[in-house]
Amino acid sequence: MPREKKVENYDVVVIGGGPAGLTAAIYAGRARLKTILIEKSLIGGLATYTNEVANYPGFPTAVKGEDITNLMKAQAENMGVKFKLTAVKSVQLQGDLKTVETFRTIYQTKTVIIASGGRPRTTGAKNEEKFLYDKGISFCATCDAAANTGKHVVVIGSGDTAIEEGMFLTKFARKVTVSVLHDCGKMDCNEIAKETALGNPKMEFIWNTVVDSFEGKDHLERVVLKDLKTNQLIPVDCDTCFEFIGYLPNTELFKDQLQLTNSGYIQTNEKMETGVDGVFACGDIRDKWLKQISTAVGDGAIAGFAAEKYIEESKAFKEIILQDKKPGLVYLYNAVDPASRSFLNTIGKIENQRNGAIAVARVDVYKSKGIAERLNIDTFPTVVVVKEGKVAQVISQDLSEDKIIAAL
Amino acid sequence: MTEKIVDALGEACPVPLIKAQNAIKELAVGDILILQIDHSCAMKNVPEWARKEGHNVEIEEVDDGEWEIIIEKV
Repeated sequence: MPREKKVENYDVVVIGGGPAGLTAAIYAGRARLKTILIEKSLIGGLATYTNEVANYPGFPTAVKGEDITNLMKAQAENMGVKFKLTAVKSVQLQGDLKTVETFRTIYQTKTVIIASGGRPRTTGAKNEEKFLYDKGISFCATCDAAANTGKHVVVIGSGDTAIEEGMFLTKFARKVTVSVLHDCGKMDCNEIAKETALGNPKMEFIWNTVVDSFEGKDHLERVVLKDLKTNQLIPVDCDTCFEFIGYLPNTELFKDQLQLTNSGYIQTNEKMETGVDGVFACGDIRDKWLKQISTAVGDGAIAGFAAEKYIEESKAFKEIILQDKKPGLVYLYNAVDPASRSFLNTIGKIENQRNGAIAVARVDVYKSKGIAERLNIDTFPTVVVVKEGKVAQVISQDLSEDKIIAAL
Repeated sequence: MTEKIVDALGEACPVPLIKAQNAIKELAVGDILILQIDHSCAMKNVPEWARKEGHNVEIEEVDDGEWEIIIEKV
């Protein structure tokens, strides 16, 4: 008999605890929104797989990724963000109230911020499944380097992660053999890493190769590489094989509800909106060009801020526009324009005269155009008069007290 | 339904994972294994392995850098 699930209510549910999700949560928490972040394992996401982060501004000593994300977590906690460490089982993203379901709880929420990132891509070579994680194939040098002290390891890949983590492994392993897809001397990593790696006596490179198969009894004993030019098989005896060949997006949960690219990433606009109202995506899960801690943090800030604006605007929209108790007056203006600002006095005068008989909203479009977009208005200042929950009149030209009073 | 607590505090990878794998073999479906850990490496491979096996997993952060991985055998 399954237990009945607990129901909890939030303003913001963030799915994923990497740098993007943590930043979004910091912004949402700081806006005093009731926020929970759900992470399936370790807070910090893929950043915790990196041993030395040399390009995140503010940390000149190349600290561990986990050290940076632990600080982000502490900051989110200071902002009142709650954390739950479990996997999300399903989501329902449509409508004003969305649900995010875990093994024991249903979270009802006004907004969802998806920051579920990526997971390491695997080679797809023969027998790979047999040796994943604990049986000799690893994706985390930080985690498994110490266990390989004095041993021989193989690294697959030549990007920044592969070469930088490979160099880190030379501090522990006796020998690090790197399988590179490209011709001799060509790598995908940055030039500094490349030069250092080529000069590292513990590193050996096998060019033009991919993995053909993994072999061993209970634990990995050998990686068989294949030369792409000669088709020759090259068996390499080793204790652990580290795969650093990119990532796959964790979007399975959302594939029927959001627009995904052919490779499975979520498409967003610059406000991190996904096309479903109140649902935002940020970090590596997005279809974007550069996937770094620093860009994830930028995305997260936008998503957190966008969620705040969405909630604020939905509330205003509901209270002023979608109500049918009394006529509504919405004044949309740009606070940068002095004439629009001084017209606020006229709006105030009308509000006072009516003495509570009308609902008035002042919307500064300089801060956010969300409400204007919902009303399809792009010239400012504009007054919208609402009656019985519907737009009755839009006044954009020659605003005056008389015109507004006549419309009311 | 029984609950089994396994202490893997102070243990580095892959020891917590091996302890969890051995402990779960002794449990019946619906039983709960609570693995106590304080090395973050185990936060990566233990939940990953348990979910791959189809078990339900939830984690409590008991203290800064100390966790209980709660695995319900399925």
